[in-house]
Amino acid sequence: MSHQSTLIELRGVSKRYGSVEALRDVDLAVQTRQIVAVVGDNGAGKSTLVHVLAGLVQPDAGSIAVRGETVRLDSVAKAAELGIASAFQQPQFCENLDVSANIFLGREMRQGLSVRDDAGMYAKAREVLNTLSTPVRAGQSIASLSGGQRQTVAIARTLLNDPSLIVLDEPTASLSVTQTAEVLDYIVRLRSAERSVIMVCHDLPNVFAIADRIVVMRHGAVCAVHATADTTYEEVIAEISGVSKGAVATRMRARASRARMPRSGEAE
Amino acid sequence: MLVCMAGRFSKKKLGSQSSLREANRANLLESIHKFGAMTQVELAEIMGVSTATISALVHQLSDEGQLETHGTVRNGRRAQLVTLAHHNGLAAGVHITRRGLRVVLCDDTRSPYMEHHYPLARNHLPDTTLDIAARMIRESLQQMDAGADELLAIGVALGAPVDKRTGMLAVPGLLPGWEDVDVAAAFREMFDVPVLVDNDANMSAFCEARVGAGSGIEDFVYVNVGDGVGAGIVRGGEVHHGVTGLAGEIGHIQVDPLGAICQCGNRGCLNTIVDEQRLTSLLAVTHGDLTLNDLVLKANAGDPGCRRVIADAAVRIGNVASTLCISVDPELVVVGGELAQAGEVFLDPFREALQRLLFPDALTPIAVLEAKLPKINGALGAGIMAMENEEREALNGGRSQKGKQGEGDESSVDVD
Repeated sequence: MSHQSTLIELRGVSKRYGSVEALRDVDLAVQTRQIVAVVGDNGAGKSTLVHVLAGLVQPDAGSIAVRGETVRLDSVAKAAELGIASAFQQPQFCENLDVSANIFLGREMRQGLSVRDDAGMYAKAREVLNTLSTPVRAGQSIASLSGGQRQTVAIARTLLNDPSLIVLDEPTASLSVTQTAEVLDYIVRLRSAERSVIMVCHDLPNVFAIADRIVVMRHGAVCAVHATADTTYEEVIAEISGVSKGAVATRMRARASRARMPRSGEAE
Repeated sequence: MLVCMAGRFSKKKLGSQSSLREANRANLLESIHKFGAMTQVELAEIMGVSTATISALVHQLSDEGQLETHGTVRNGRRAQLVTLAHHNGLAAGVHITRRGLRVVLCDDTRSPYMEHHYPLARNHLPDTTLDIAARMIRESLQQMDAGADELLAIGVALGAPVDKRTGMLAVPGLLPGWEDVDVAAAFREMFDVPVLVDNDANMSAFCEARVGAGSGIEDFVYVNVGDGVGAGIVRGGEVHHGVTGLAGEIGHIQVDPLGAICQCGNRGCLNTIVDEQRLTSLLAVTHGDLTLNDLVLKANAGDPGCRRVIADAAVRIGNVASTLCISVDPELVVVGGELAQAGEVFLDPFREALQRLLFPDALTPIAVLEAKLPKINGALGAGIMAMENEEREALNGGRSQKGKQGEGDESSVDVD
């Protein structure tokens, strides 16, 4: 009963933009209660993959199954219906509206048939923002927010409909360190609440801190999938960049010796 | 009218006027604890009550000395910035374990502020981790609207035994990569304040002794059960370290002479049979990938396999803890850490195993209590210890400190 089951499975997914092969025969499976990190260099196909999962981009080939049933993710609404919510790298907002209205944009709560339930939306928005421990307020105008605060609102937006899979593109980029702590902690809490997370992330220490699986992409293809406990920085960096593991290890040793750490015996 | 507004926005059930005021008061303090300095307008927005209500509450709390207000400017208008009163400066508590970093600030009332937890990778590197910790301290100070000069001291709790004489790790291998890092020197260099480093079980014990389950108790033992077991011994209200700082390291008492090799280099230590990897591996076939946290959550949700694993671990730990109890004869055993979050699932078998091996006819049996601050007691204990150290230094060295308050207010402190 409590055994993990496959939540979503991509098989042979490909996508071509003109002559560019953005995704090449990608296989990816995500279990329930699992955090999967997708890492790779710029242009490796991470964002396209995220767009496919969000229902924004249609693959040219391959199939997607959610809980064992083959589905077509042909719109964001369809993805939401299947319990997939996403937040993107540079979240787009309506600059003239406040935070609450932006969180509910396109899915406003209503009283009866036509009256918008502003008070209800405020209360719910406040609740979601509070769980993220952010000082962003529901009534603040979006235009007054910093980049990190915008990211927080984007994540808050994904949590409204109680999704089972949350897709995050660079969730901690442009966040301050305490906000990063909150977001990482929150992702871990999502996992504890039996949710799954796919997260594109450049920051390897954060990936190793919270991910269960690490998917390495290169030139549009998945080139390796690791259980986090069974791999090392060196291996993942080598696969991302395509250089040998030995070369990476040498560079990392050089970096470690450059990093100025007060050691025992040094005069302080 | 205010009641109507509060009701409209927060949709809370309305009680009497005074209970509503009580709730608003608690809510206000909690909001500032969580989000730091804010203007009254922002507070009203976040709590969903009118600015008049906030203004009245802030006045009341400022008179009681819990809050402070300063004039500031927001969006081109004058505003009242509300902060927690931190009369005599702040101390930062940092807790570094194998999998995470927690930073908390505290003042001389020993209340925690601005608590943040940052998950870390296994084998995290000291330079990156210390850098994150320093940035978290700076940001937390900023959020409290406190200047850098208000930071008086830093306490660091490390998830490995620390040699009190040198401030360095006493045993290599337990926090890999940190063996020859002088954590105190690193923080001193960054912040130019006194830094105190100790083992996290000791810091947690100290925290529970000051503001937790052991407050007011002279002699007790704190047992930390997380990824591995540690203990802190409190004697006469102070933590007992031993000569090298290894006192209470019950995770390295041998329970199986033919067991697996421990990270400490010895064989069959208690830690080899109750650490995260061992416990979760027992469930790998039936439950898939689990973390310690998953294990506890599932046990609390009633999963029989997870309950069994935790109960069995509790018995093994209880057996070893009884040895410690016989050696130091404490009044109380306080249990904290991640496994203790399983509540009675852990505590009942632990209590039973412990009692069975203690003197059956003892006149006063040793009580077993849950820690009061199970998550933050490591970091908060570090902060409080650093603060007290600094206060003592200030008294002894006669350094001029404005408005020093006596220690008499200890009993009125309530941290929750």
